[in-house]
Amino acid sequence: MTSLTHLQRLEAESIQIMREVVAETENPVMLYSVGKDSAVMLHLARKAFAPAPPPFPLLHVDTRWKFRAMYEFRDHMAEDIGMDLLVHINPEGIEKDINPFTHGSAIHTDVMKTEGLKQALDKYGFDAAFGGARRDEEKSRAKERIFSFRTAQHRWDPKNQRPELWKLYNTRKHAKESIRVFPISNWTELDIWQYIYLQNIPIVPLYYSAERPVVERDGALIMVDDERMPLEPGEVPMMRKVRFRTLGCYPLTGAIESEADTLPAIIQEMLLTKTSERQGRVIDNDSAASMEKKKQEGYF
Amino acid sequence: MNAKHLSPGSLNERRKQAVRLRLDGHTVLKVTQQTGLSAPTVSAAWKAFREGGWAAVPVKTRGRLKGQANVLDASFQEVLWQVLNQAPPDDAPAWSSAGLADWLKENHNLELTQRAIEHWWESEGLKHEPWPLVRFAKQRSQQGRWYRQSVEPLFSKTKEATQRWQVGVRRIAHPSRSVYQFYLHGVRGRLLMRCFERPPVAADYVSLFKALSRQGPGVVVFHGALLEVSPEVKQWLAEQPAFWLVPVPRNLAITA
Repeated sequence: MTSLTHLQRLEAESIQIMREVVAETENPVMLYSVGKDSAVMLHLARKAFAPAPPPFPLLHVDTRWKFRAMYEFRDHMAEDIGMDLLVHINPEGIEKDINPFTHGSAIHTDVMKTEGLKQALDKYGFDAAFGGARRDEEKSRAKERIFSFRTAQHRWDPKNQRPELWKLYNTRKHAKESIRVFPISNWTELDIWQYIYLQNIPIVPLYYSAERPVVERDGALIMVDDERMPLEPGEVPMMRKVRFRTLGCYPLTGAIESEADTLPAIIQEMLLTKTSERQGRVIDNDSAASMEKKKQEGYF
Repeated sequence: MNAKHLSPGSLNERRKQAVRLRLDGHTVLKVTQQTGLSAPTVSAAWKAFREGGWAAVPVKTRGRLKGQANVLDASFQEVLWQVLNQAPPDDAPAWSSAGLADWLKENHNLELTQRAIEHWWESEGLKHEPWPLVRFAKQRSQQGRWYRQSVEPLFSKTKEATQRWQVGVRRIAHPSRSVYQFYLHGVRGRLLMRCFERPPVAADYVSLFKALSRQGPGVVVFHGALLEVSPEVKQWLAEQPAFWLVPVPRNLAITA
């Protein structure tokens, strides 16, 4: 009997979870944030249902403030894989011109991401949504189950979660409840990179180190991705060799200085790192336990 | 397969292969079977890769490394940092090693040779090599195309520009300080520099360019900052009749 590598075991687990969801729910969707976790999740979904395309659409909850490279990559991928890509932007956010600079990261995240996601799920009537969250990212994600049940108002109750002993998942929903499913919850950031390397999965070039114009804000390196980024008086963006460990809205995502411009170099960097990738996200530093609060309100 | 009496070359090849297999997710046991190396050797190669990348995987050579000789006294070094963070005297654009040596002698009564200062620059990561721009002229590469299309025409159009500078700004990854550096190379490639403890602002760039323009009409090939988004720098440049700036495109590898 040949033994599986740890990546093969993780892959098998994720595929089983995806098939379980498709068998047990009526209208699933895959949340696609264009990042590396989404890329791996999408790759797994295509493997799980090959040769047919995955039997669910992709949903991108857009905030209008993602990196330009992410939009280019998203459109290119949607064309390439032949799956339906739904893009939802909170219309109230557009109307009020919600943005991270004048409204702050907390309001921007709440309106454009949390409310936007809830609107999209209600609009299309999805009863299960795959998300690419992983336990090693953040403490509230660590304690969330793979099948995370949400009330009709999309709220999460961390004190009322179902046991998942021996990887048996109870998929029974109460009326109007929905499920957020995290098929790669047990993967680490390093696993994700090794898998991307082994499977040759395309990812947004922002993950690779390159010279990019950045400014320093509260210790974070923020990339000046377009002309909407307001500069301080006299401030001049410097070109520095940086890459991103995590991708979100560009004004709220910190880069790291790095020379890693290949996948093996990134993997080597991951082997050495002692911090979570979410340290680069400004929204996670809003207040203590901010992620858990956001998740309770419906954030993924 | 016994790896006990391998030459350093083949041992290094096997160590690299072991790391590649570990990257592919294979267990130490499987890697030992495939490479013939012992488990401690496989683990050591993997640990070396984790800590220092591919360069650290081969077994080390013996002997003292270059630059590990005597170092300057800590108080000397502190003075050097302080001076580099100040604007240079006599309208000079930046500090040269000779200028720095003279200043230290006159103002701090410190005797330091140019050579010692240059060694210290190297040990602190401040040394910068000039870009081999002229070599690009005949190259069929991205650098060659950029040089022929952007730099050469300006050089030939501005024959009166006697001053030709390579200027850049960068952040130095220093273990104990926050260091931002302006580095400059004249026609002969001599290094001049000015340091900051914070990212330089528009006024710093303008005063550097002013100092360069005082030396005569000049062309500056510039790398390291997005000057086109700074209204102050743009305005100053627009007002100069005999000072031209050529930005190096993003991600164009121009290092020596």
